[in-house]
Amino acid sequence: MVKRAYSLIVCVAVVAAVSACGGGGGSSDAVTATGPIKIWLSDNALEISWGEALVKQWNKENPKQKVTAQEIPAGESSEAVIQASITAGNAPCLIWNVAPAAVPQFQRAGGLVPLDSFDGGVQYARERTGGLVDQYVSSDGQLYQLPWKSNPVMIIYNKALFEEAGLDPENPSLATYDEFRQTAETLNSELDIAAIWPSADQTFFQAWFDYYPTFIAATGGDQLVQNGKAQFDSETGVEVGEFWRSMYEDGLIPQESAQVDAFAEEQSAMSIVGPWAVAVYKDLDWGVVPVPTPDGTPPDDVYTFSDAKNVSIFSACKNQKTAFDFMKFATSEESDRALLEESGQMPLRTGIEEKYADYFEENPLYAEFAEQSSRTVEVPNVPNSIEMWENFRGAYSTSVIFGRKPVPNAFSTSAKEVEELVKEGG
Amino acid sequence: MKGERRGRFSPGRILGFVALCLGAFLFLFPFYYMLAGALQAEPDPGISGAFPSPGELSITNLREINERVPLARALLNSVVYTAGVIVGTLTIGILAGYALSRLRWRGRSLVFNIMLLTLIVPFQLLMIPMYVMVVRGWGLGDSYLGMILPFLVNSTAVFIFRQFFMQLPEDMLDAARIDGAGELRILTQIVLPLSRPAILTAGLITFIGPWNEFLWPFLITKQADLQPLAVALANYISTVAASSANPFGAILSGAVVLSVPAVALFIIFQSYFVESETSASLKE
Amino acid sequence: MRLGAARFVGYFFILPYLIFLALFLAYPLGFAVWMSFYEYFFAAPGAVVERPFIGLENYRNLLEDETFRTTIGNILVFIAVNVPLTVVLALVLGAALNAKLPGQAFFRTSYYLPYVTASVAVVAVWGYLFFGDGLVNRILGGLAPEPSWLVNEFWAMIVISLLVTWKQLGYYVLLYLAALQNVPRQLYEAAEVDGAGTFGKFWNVTVPGLRPVTLLVVILSTIIGANLFTEPYLLTNGGGPVDQTLSPVLYMYQRGIEQADAGYAAAIGVTLSVIVLLVAAVQRFALERG
Repeated sequence: MVKRAYSLIVCVAVVAAVSACGGGGGSSDAVTATGPIKIWLSDNALEISWGEALVKQWNKENPKQKVTAQEIPAGESSEAVIQASITAGNAPCLIWNVAPAAVPQFQRAGGLVPLDSFDGGVQYARERTGGLVDQYVSSDGQLYQLPWKSNPVMIIYNKALFEEAGLDPENPSLATYDEFRQTAETLNSELDIAAIWPSADQTFFQAWFDYYPTFIAATGGDQLVQNGKAQFDSETGVEVGEFWRSMYEDGLIPQESAQVDAFAEEQSAMSIVGPWAVAVYKDLDWGVVPVPTPDGTPPDDVYTFSDAKNVSIFSACKNQKTAFDFMKFATSEESDRALLEESGQMPLRTGIEEKYADYFEENPLYAEFAEQSSRTVEVPNVPNSIEMWENFRGAYSTSVIFGRKPVPNAFSTSAKEVEELVKEGG
Repeated sequence: MKGERRGRFSPGRILGFVALCLGAFLFLFPFYYMLAGALQAEPDPGISGAFPSPGELSITNLREINERVPLARALLNSVVYTAGVIVGTLTIGILAGYALSRLRWRGRSLVFNIMLLTLIVPFQLLMIPMYVMVVRGWGLGDSYLGMILPFLVNSTAVFIFRQFFMQLPEDMLDAARIDGAGELRILTQIVLPLSRPAILTAGLITFIGPWNEFLWPFLITKQADLQPLAVALANYISTVAASSANPFGAILSGAVVLSVPAVALFIIFQSYFVESETSASLKE
Repeated sequence: MRLGAARFVGYFFILPYLIFLALFLAYPLGFAVWMSFYEYFFAAPGAVVERPFIGLENYRNLLEDETFRTTIGNILVFIAVNVPLTVVLALVLGAALNAKLPGQAFFRTSYYLPYVTASVAVVAVWGYLFFGDGLVNRILGGLAPEPSWLVNEFWAMIVISLLVTWKQLGYYVLLYLAALQNVPRQLYEAAEVDGAGTFGKFWNVTVPGLRPVTLLVVILSTIIGANLFTEPYLLTNGGGPVDQTLSPVLYMYQRGIEQADAGYAAAIGVTLSVIVLLVAAVQRFALERG
């Protein structure tokens, strides 16, 4: 009896202590404050050197508003790291690697400062990026991210391997699903390698590099969810799934994730990538085509996934005005040129093909990606976005990769759950 | 040893020996393979990769991982973290073990039961509230103290001390008490000198915890230069490795760096273990 | 008088540990239980957010959650392989080590090595051994499972069980070895007089003599198994293939940390702890009576 009383007292005390937490006021003067700030850059070596150069220049011009840059702490996913730092209240001022899919979650946690809080903030984004900005506006009508750069996803293929397999390396037959599968079969039977090797992992973002680009292309630019309604269980959505399923079924794609970079090691003849590939695979001779569509949409009309990474200002920041100013500085036309030239990533800015025409003339491979970057679609900006992707990826893994359930069944079950998730938060 | 070595070559003994050899092979092979893979410049997952010729060996992998992960710094962090935990565990654990075995007070069995509960509740459940408390409440993010605190004492060590102290003869302690010695003095002057096996066992088992742990210090440290080696290596495996030329070699080199101190420490103290067990059996 | 002083000293000695338990067990556990009744998520300090009380909703959802059921099934497979294997191997190796055979120190060291080595390191090697194009499949050739071990729905969890058995075995051998010192020599002598051979002695004297340790090993390995996290987290990329290696704790981690659904994650953790507590109690009851 006495023991029971003890534990009861402990419980009550704990609950009291817990409810006492929370509260405390956010400071609104932070929006206008200037001073030293901290920023995080992605772990991409090229982006780090780009960022560090800019920081150096900024610090020389603004000694009182010193910027300290650091590589984003590594983890299974950057999103988990950022979420943890929001909770702890030690997030930096700016993060140059925010996935749009994670923005709703960060926003719900009160971790982000909308650009609407700054004079001319939204206007700046619209001037720089144009109409694409609409894809990034949150459900409350505010803009919590500056669209920064995109990595429009395309198919690259190894010319030497194509030639070896007796395929035409200059005009590969990869536009329709039938052509793509035919080519894949030839590669597989002639060379005994994977045709293409997307990751088989179940992590939520993997869908962005197999199903989602092809889904966007097949539907002519739909998002996974539109107006609260899941789109992937439509006839077209399922057809796209069945296309990938048939490739797994015939062993053209391995069910185990590659342990090394399969394209670099020539263990696969194709890869589905963004323009970062130009720098990474510079030792290989390769060509680039849009993702396949069921009936071969003309290349100029094919949409794809943008794989954008954006910049957000975090509420833990004390000198948010400096953060905003540095953000503008680092996304100016000049800084964007530096980003393009150093890392080959496409600034989310209107008219890059004309503005940096000289660069694209010198780098024809980049020009292909730049051309594609005008036809990109983002992840839907919906509540519970990551849970939604996780759910879909689970269904995809079960049905498409491992064939445990028929694709239509798995997709329609997931569609119901996804609609519930998207509604729940909103 | 009374040493009647009858049946030296009995079938049972031979079978036992064969079982031990087979077991040893299965237990040691992965370590050998780790070393072989770490020292090969070119990745070779095939059978020949398990038997590299001396010409193929190099330390390029170690250099490659050292470029992305500051190994020396990470190793130092691991040492500080682990040492802090061991010191905490030995002081608090010995005091608690003594109180739970040789002192009488109300609530003793309740505390003992709560102690067992710590084994059952998954750490990941406690981690999130703890994280908020340590980082937000106490501002101990990016500090060794923040890393150490949740592991400051572990219940397994308390349990080991309790069990060991219970075996000590009561008369000896009573004699000291009659001489007017305080409990703290009895503990430090009489009990501890007899407790080297328990201290070593608890110390080694405690060592493994923080040396292995990658989740908590990962959450706590945002600065890369404070991360212990296990964290740095786990991150390296999950993010960077796939883009390096010989990811296996680099990962296995990291694994070797992480294993060597633990294995070395264990082999050094191995002799003490043998000794402690003999002394335990002599007492019987 | 003396008793009172001793009691005071007792509290004084236990106090640091009690403070530790209060801060790092009672408080977070209480917080977690409290959280599981809310639609709780973590927010930035000072942020004004809505986190409504939802009573048993999280637990109700948990009962209908297919993924949670899968994780329980997975962990049962894990335990079914891990626990019997651990008990049998630790017992046999412990007894063999105790027989004072040549090379004892060497054997002892080799069995403890995986136990003292960091999971991150051993997982790296196992991943290298068991991936599709790895050494194990090269040796097996045509006998290699298809799809390969770590992406094979049947084999993936078994490989993880074997890995954990291998990793933890040294600790249990140590427990058996220590307990073997306490089995009275006379019992063996008596068995020898009755004409028992090596196996007879092992079966009739050693095994019953070690029953208390066996109980401890069964309970400990069940508890540790139920809290499986690191190996699937690192080895099978967070629970693949098709969630077949997703453990309850890993699932809790994904929901709580990656998807910021802390209330639901807490409900998973609390439910799991209660189940483990019950199972441990049943095991104890069964083995003590049997």
